[in-house]
Order: sequence, then structure tokens, then C-alpha cells
Amino acid sequence: MKGFLLGLANGTVCLASCVPILTPYLLGQGQTVRRNYLDLGRFLAGRLIGYLFFAVLAWSLGLLVDQKSVYREIIFGGSYCFLAGLLIYYSFRKETGLCAMEIVKGGLPGFMKKSTLLLPFALGLFSGLNLCPPLLMALAGAASEGNLAASLFFFGAFFLGTSVFFLPIPFMGLLNRKEALQTIGKMAAGLIGVYYFGMGILILVGGVNRL
Amino acid sequence: MSNLELSRKTIETATRKPWQTFLIALPMLLFSLMMLTGGNGLGEDPRELIALLITYVFVNTIFILMVHTGKIDKYRSILFITYAVCFVLWFIPNLIEARGSMNYTSEDIIQGKIPFCHMVTPMILIPAVLKRMIIFPGSLMEGFASIGGMLIIWLGASLALGRGFCSWGCFYGGLEDGFSRLKKKPVLKKINPKWRYLPYAVLLGVVLTSMATLSPTYCVWLCPFKAVTEFEKVTSVLVLIQTIIFASLFVGLVIVLPLLTKKRTQCSFLCPMGAFQSFTNKIDPFEIRIDREKCSNCKVCINVCPTFSMDEASLAEGKANLSCTKCGKCIDRCPKKAISLGVKGTSPKCGTSGGVRLIFLYPAYMFLVTFGGGMIQDAVNRVLLLLSTGKFIQ
Repeated sequence: MKGFLLGLANGTVCLASCVPILTPYLLGQGQTVRRNYLDLGRFLAGRLIGYLFFAVLAWSLGLLVDQKSVYREIIFGGSYCFLAGLLIYYSFRKETGLCAMEIVKGGLPGFMKKSTLLLPFALGLFSGLNLCPPLLMALAGAASEGNLAASLFFFGAFFLGTSVFFLPIPFMGLLNRKEALQTIGKMAAGLIGVYYFGMGILILVGGVNRL
Repeated sequence: MSNLELSRKTIETATRKPWQTFLIALPMLLFSLMMLTGGNGLGEDPRELIALLITYVFVNTIFILMVHTGKIDKYRSILFITYAVCFVLWFIPNLIEARGSMNYTSEDIIQGKIPFCHMVTPMILIPAVLKRMIIFPGSLMEGFASIGGMLIIWLGASLALGRGFCSWGCFYGGLEDGFSRLKKKPVLKKINPKWRYLPYAVLLGVVLTSMATLSPTYCVWLCPFKAVTEFEKVTSVLVLIQTIIFASLFVGLVIVLPLLTKKRTQCSFLCPMGAFQSFTNKIDPFEIRIDREKCSNCKVCINVCPTFSMDEASLAEGKANLSCTKCGKCIDRCPKKAISLGVKGTSPKCGTSGGVRLIFLYPAYMFLVTFGGGMIQDAVNRVLLLLSTGKFIQ
């Protein structure tokens, strides 16, 4: 319950951290609301795995994540760079879509089929692997739980509390002028990717210098 | 006759009779006097009086010429470019007098001493709503260029002018407008229309990243106009990278590309405020209309539009795109007089005689004089100071 309430209380902050990654992706896809919800599900599943990783980390380290550790900067800097790489890849990827007929005919290469399904999951995973202020609070909250199951449960509840705020996002599928919005979404994904890549490099350099 | 030849040809517009012009201009002659004097009467410093006189005569001559000849874009551009140049001549010396340089430091940021600029508007709105937080290091209500004061001015301008703000109110726009008018023919003609979506992507990107990082990312990383206003002192590699980015964008998008394309490329391909302002065209009552019966499809309007707001689709639809800045260039250049400024919800013929354009001219000019009059006056004052004492900064 504590984790869920903490998630609800900090949902807007989590939303602010994840929306720059999710919105351009969904806009770029230009899909219906139903398909957007499927992608949101994949994104959230990735994010949940990221959160559960923190739960395990919190338990296994005992001290949870040492706030002063240089490894923290290297892990999160690297995570930012991966996230940026995915966004940039997405912005340049030639959209073939998941046309049912093409799949039936085997017109799409296997990698492309997989990447269309996996990309939102990977975006969710790497955005979940970033320390935003609410996650730090959740880490501190999970620290008091003492065992792995309780830590996992705490992060799971925290995830549910924050996820409520993501539910309206897929409704952008109702917007008109999809072609223009797709172009804008892809361009924005590229720009945000470049920005996050720069941030990731800065965090990495900071961590490496302190080694 | 080719399209380009047509676009260069000045379309003769019926001029008004002198007494008509005088009567139409009279309210603005009085309004501009009130705004330029600040309602405090005339001062005693002769240099300031001369500066006031020069500014008053200049801005009103422009208004009278706009009303008398009907060639609004031609004279608007003179005033708009002067406004931008005078903004720079006003802002930088004031900054140097107050701070000693164009650089701001971390202390200035912490103390909230950075003047608010309208470009930040789209970035501060969502954090203000979601987190009850203003993510700009400026004063909320007090002092010079406070956040509250600037937002109120912007709101008023948006309601009255829509994206017309970008051609009548923005103190940066005149710089690239000026460069875009220097060459007679464009060197770069073929530009992929997809680039028109870039400002919307920049808007989306900076709004979302500002929300995530709680800092105005556009100001920190991209704003080219830091080159003519203020910028962070280079004390680290990070700030050096930011400096290189904004200086390159200024040279590229405000000077070089406008020269080569005869378009306002910063407004068309980068400015998130312009993209944001485009949506205010939805609530603004004025719109550019194209009479399909009169239109000969010569494409002059497409060629001359400085913000890519006219294309084949807009001609077919009978109105300009959402990004239209209401500069009036298409109206002035259309050889068939098929383009006019109309009021939304009225009949298609409403505005074809130029009456609506005149109604639009009042708030547009009032805004320009209110916002820019003082800057022009101060800049003229400084030029006079330079001529009389050899000093530009007091």
C-alpha cells in the first residue's frame, strides 16, 4: 500500500520523465487508440522489469543503491545512451508498419517484425532504469522492507501507482492529420534522442572521472 | 511572364485620399504619443526629446504610408526590421550597464535575474500546471521583463494577432526578415516541405524535456538569439559546446539561410515559440483567404511567403496554413488580388475590399508601438549619445 500511494503521489513526476520517450514514439507510429494501448502495455512491461531490477538491486546490495557510488553514474549514463540510441534508431527507421497482408506474405524481415514489438518494451526498460526523484524515494522506501519479496512487492505497487497516469496517453491516436503527426513524432524522437545521448555521455564522463 | 517575374512585380494598390488617411491615422497618432511619452509629458533632456521626436515621426510615417498606399508588408518590414535592430541596440548596452557584460553567471540564475523572453512560454506552462513550479530563473512579477508581465502581453497579442505576433510583435523576427530581403533572387529554391514540421518537433521535444528536467532546455541548448542578447559565461566544456551550438544556429538560420532562400528559416525550421503560436491562429479572428475564382494558380504567393505557409494544398483549400504570420506579403504581391484578410465565420467576400486588413492593422500596430516604441527611442537616444559624446554606453 505504501508503495502504491508513493507511486500515486509522484505519478506526475514519473510521467514527466517517461513522456518525452513515449509520446514521440506513439505519435511516430500514428496508430489507433487500441494499438497505442498495446504499445503502452509493452512500454510499461519494460518499465516494470526496470523497476524490478531496482528491487533486486536494492535487496542484494543491502544498502540499496549507494547514492555516492560512481557505478551509479556509469550504469545510468550507459542507460541514457542506450535509450538515446533507441530513439535515434527509431527516428531514422523506415516505417514499414505491421500490415497484416505483408506479414502473411512474409514481406517483412524477421528483425523488423521483432523490433516493432520489442522497441516499446526496450524504451520502457531503459526509461525504468533511470533514477528519477520518485524512484529514489521508492528505493529508500524499499530499503526498510528487508527481504527480496517485500522489496519486489514494494516496487511492483509503486509501478502500479505511477502507471495510472499513463492511461490517457494512447488517446492521442484520436488526433487527426496522422501523417504530419508521425513526421513530427519521429523528428522529436530524434531530437530527444540526441539530447539524452548528450546527457548520457556527460553522466558517463562524470562517473569515469571519479573512478 | 514567369512566376518569379510576377512575384517581383509590384502590384499597384489604390491609394486613399489624404483626408481619409489622416482620419484613419489620427487615433494612432495620439496613441503612439501617449505610449512613447509614457503618459508623463515631455522630458527636459534635449537629446531624449530629439530621440522621442525622431521615433514618433518614424513610426507614424510608416503607419500613414501603410494606410495611404495599402502596401502593408513593404512598410511593416521597414518598421519590423528597425524594431529588431533597435532591440539589440537597446538590450545589449542596458545589460552591459547593469551587469558589466553580456554574460550571466550562476549567481544571476540563482537570484532569478534573467529577463524573461517570450520564447520560454511553451516550456514553462506544463511544469507550472503539473508541478506548480516556474522553471525559469526570472522574477515572477517584479522588475524588468518579469514572467507575469510578459505572459500577460503575450496572451493579449495572441488573442488579437494569433501567429501575427511573429510578424508584428517578436523582437527577433526582424533580424532574419531583414537578411531574407537582401538578395533579389533565392539561391536555394527546392526545400523539402517536410522540414516545415521541424519546429513542431522542436516544440514537442523542448516541452517534454523541460518537463522532465525542470529546466528550459531550448534556452540552455538551442536558442540562437542568445548571440544578440545574453549567454552563460564559458567556464566549462559543457558551456563551450552550448555556445558553439547557439552561435552556429544564429549564423546558419538567422543570417546565411535567409540570405540563400529569401525565407525566415529560423521561424520556419526551428522556433518552438512560432510553432506554439501557430495554434493561437485557431482562436485569432483573422485569417488569410484565397478567392479560388480569382486565383490564376500563378504560385506567386507560394514563392514569396517567408514562412512556407502557402502551398498547393492551401491554395486548393482557399486559406493559408496554420503557420501563417499575417505579414501580408501574399496579399500585396498577388497579381489577381485574390488574397485577402478576412474574419472567421463571415462570408467569403468579407475583407476583399481591404477593410478587415485595416481593422487588423490597428491592434498589430498598437502592439508594435507599445512593445517596440520604447526600444526604438532608447536606441536612437544611444546613437545620438554616440554622435555627441563618442560613447554608446553610459
